[in-house]
Amino acid sequence: MIKRLSVAALLTTTMFVAACQQQPATETASTEGTADCVAATGGSVNLYTARHYASDEAIYEAFTCSTGIRIQKIEMQADQLLARLQAEGDASPADVVVIQDAGAMGQAANDGFLVAFDDATIDGRVPEQWRDPQGRWFGIARRARIIAYDTQRVQPEEVDEYADLASPRFRGKVCAQTSDAVYNLTLMSALIDRWGSERALEWARGVVANMARPPQGSDSDQIRAVAAGQCEVAITNHYYFLRMAESDDAADRAVTEHLALSFPQISGQGSHFNLSGAGLAAHAPNRENAIRFLEYLTGPEAQGTFASRTNEFPTTTEAEMPADVEAYSHHAADPLPLPAFAEHRAEAQRIFEQAGWR
Amino acid sequence: MRLSAPRLTPLGLGALVAALIALAPLVAVLISATGPMADSLTPETFWRYARTSAGLVLLVGLGTGLLGGIAAWLVAMHDFPGRRLFSWALVLPMAAPAFVLAYGYASLFDVAGPIRTAWRAAFGWDPPFEMRTLWGAALVMTLAFYPYVYLTLRAALVSQSSGLTEAARTLGLSRRQAFWRVTLPLARPALAAGMALAVMETLADYGATSYLTVQTLTTGVVRAWSVFYSAAEAARLALPLLAAAAVLLWIERANRKAVAEAGQARWREIERVRLSGPAGWGASAYCLTLIGLGLVLPLGWLVQLGWASEHETVRLIASSRNVLILGGVAALFTTALATLVALSARDGRFLPRLLSLGYATPGVVMAIGLLAPAGMIWRAFPSTVSSFLMAITLLVLAYAARLMAAALEPIDAGLQRVGRSVRAAARTLGETEAGAARRIDLPIASGALFTAALLVFIDVLKELPATMILRPFGFDTLAVMADYYAKDERLGEAAWPSLMIVLIALPAVMWLTRRVSHSRPGDRT
Repeated sequence: MIKRLSVAALLTTTMFVAACQQQPATETASTEGTADCVAATGGSVNLYTARHYASDEAIYEAFTCSTGIRIQKIEMQADQLLARLQAEGDASPADVVVIQDAGAMGQAANDGFLVAFDDATIDGRVPEQWRDPQGRWFGIARRARIIAYDTQRVQPEEVDEYADLASPRFRGKVCAQTSDAVYNLTLMSALIDRWGSERALEWARGVVANMARPPQGSDSDQIRAVAAGQCEVAITNHYYFLRMAESDDAADRAVTEHLALSFPQISGQGSHFNLSGAGLAAHAPNRENAIRFLEYLTGPEAQGTFASRTNEFPTTTEAEMPADVEAYSHHAADPLPLPAFAEHRAEAQRIFEQAGWR
Repeated sequence: MRLSAPRLTPLGLGALVAALIALAPLVAVLISATGPMADSLTPETFWRYARTSAGLVLLVGLGTGLLGGIAAWLVAMHDFPGRRLFSWALVLPMAAPAFVLAYGYASLFDVAGPIRTAWRAAFGWDPPFEMRTLWGAALVMTLAFYPYVYLTLRAALVSQSSGLTEAARTLGLSRRQAFWRVTLPLARPALAAGMALAVMETLADYGATSYLTVQTLTTGVVRAWSVFYSAAEAARLALPLLAAAAVLLWIERANRKAVAEAGQARWREIERVRLSGPAGWGASAYCLTLIGLGLVLPLGWLVQLGWASEHETVRLIASSRNVLILGGVAALFTTALATLVALSARDGRFLPRLLSLGYATPGVVMAIGLLAPAGMIWRAFPSTVSSFLMAITLLVLAYAARLMAAALEPIDAGLQRVGRSVRAAARTLGETEAGAARRIDLPIASGALFTAALLVFIDVLKELPATMILRPFGFDTLAVMADYYAKDERLGEAAWPSLMIVLIALPAVMWLTRRVSHSRPGDRT
């Protein structure tokens, strides 16, 4: 305790000293004078991103190192990001927009914040399934929204479809987040598109009836609740499970011991994958640098970093993945056209509310 | 409303600018509310939110009134082991933002958290300690906000004229009767004012309630905005919140007046009842428990979590530096503006109250309101959109708009100590209005100015939505960092910036507490 306090005290002191000495400055990439890097004289890219992961920091640094183009970024939640783009209008300094949700990315495109551009490199790397049909944005990383289950109490074939979550088999056994959790909304949008509104509503009602507790907490909390025996199945994104399984924290690893991931089907079409998308901002002042950065995001290096640092699935085929990510990468993805996610967003929230999924 | 300056003096001009800054976002919210109808929440959902908000307000109001009230009553009117220490230590939970307490409690009492896991292992069943409920949220916010009640009520009790109580005793009331029939009724305005503050904070909170999955009207505003992308719907949902804020401000102000009047009687050091034996230790235990639950338990757990996980020292230091500088500049600027308002609207009641509305308005609502004027500036000067200086300027203006009340309250109180005749004498001797302010008012109220600056600084430390949406490229604050990590479900990493906020706020809160104690005659703690 004393040791911790003294560390904290030391940190505070350092900070005060730093406050007196340093000028507030915009982000300066730490790679700037590193010997192996290109001199950072290539101008900059203004990035508006809703992602905030260590993987992305590593990618920015590597990009600056290899091109000499600095990344200036503002991280915001998707809704704030869209609102800021709206307020800035033509004057917006944004070059590149990145959001970790296909629904919000589609909304950005529909609101005219993104502009289509032709790029053979990106089209060659990213399969059509992960590109906006109008070319305004494309996926850079994929995350599966699937089911974590207790292997001691649930058989894999009992959870091989999303529909199973609404089955009486799981009465009082399901854990899930609230309905405005963006990944739930996007999953619901997919179900609406595949099943129609009526069946989607019926499903939501069934899941609500099956809930072990009112929707609450994060995805990790759902996984922990399965491990603690409060529920048998939980809806979660895949990488939270992988992160816990490979954690330095023994308690986190123990949580995943009796748990497994199931990649359920939507009407036999594959599982629901959400996308982190990237696009060129409509009024990008540094257009050329922006396109270089967008291409870089689809390159093997960046794609591999998404897989190794955040446990996301790449959207391209060339990337190298760590073994635990690779082990799941063969699961088929529901080939829903991307605009469907933004299109059904409002209805998805309505259906959740009608079903009593708070 | 009374116009205080028929002619536009320099002071009046400054106050006008301050008023414009403070009102712009509120006007913007009202204008957005007239926007087009869009898909939004169903009426049932809206009422569910409204009921939750009402329930939370009721529970937190009662909870803070009871916990903070008892603490103030114990400390102000009794002697027991550790009283001097507790008298200021009871305020310390103010240094921890409600969302930080929420992180700690949610994780401690999670079904897979340490307490319930140990309980299950020991007894074989799951205890019903759930923080992610209305009751849990009420507990967390009561612990976060009880210092407001404690501070106002203790000040009122301490400054109460002992003569009144003595008169009551002489007339044959027992000590107990005197308390219920004289002391408490006299202190009631202070209690109400403190509770109004706590309730305002509760209504405005988004960080803690959303982390605890308690869905209030403020959550509804966010849902309308983030799910339906409708600023108009969000603004319309914000209207009941604005109305509630206005009512609460009115309550708080009206009661403050009563406090001032009741407190003006001649004082003699209040006679404290000595609690000995079990009663004394019980009082100590009560105070200790309050501090333990409000600060030590949740923060201790976060320290534990943070220690086990990595932290980004460079980013932590940069964020701390950013928020120290930003907080400093915002504190100076806001205090200056508030001083201008307080000086020129000294006799007016309406203007300060109106300008205080921003403080009681949820941050997310203010963020909606801030973007519209910011957008006008951006479009008018497109070359400055990516400028660091412009972004910081906008942020400082945003903080001023949001936190004007925090500065206005103490300055107002400080200026009230300047006698009207003193100022009149200065004017008679040929000083201008501004000159009298500079040479008479400001020196006398200098302590209050410092208090105001500290309050603004502490609030900037905790502020999230405005910072998030207006900040320049590559600029993080501690609250922003904590939020990233919490959103990414990395509570251990979120613990570091959270604890840094508390560490930076603690000295400021301690100084404030000491000041409050010393400024009251009769209290020698």
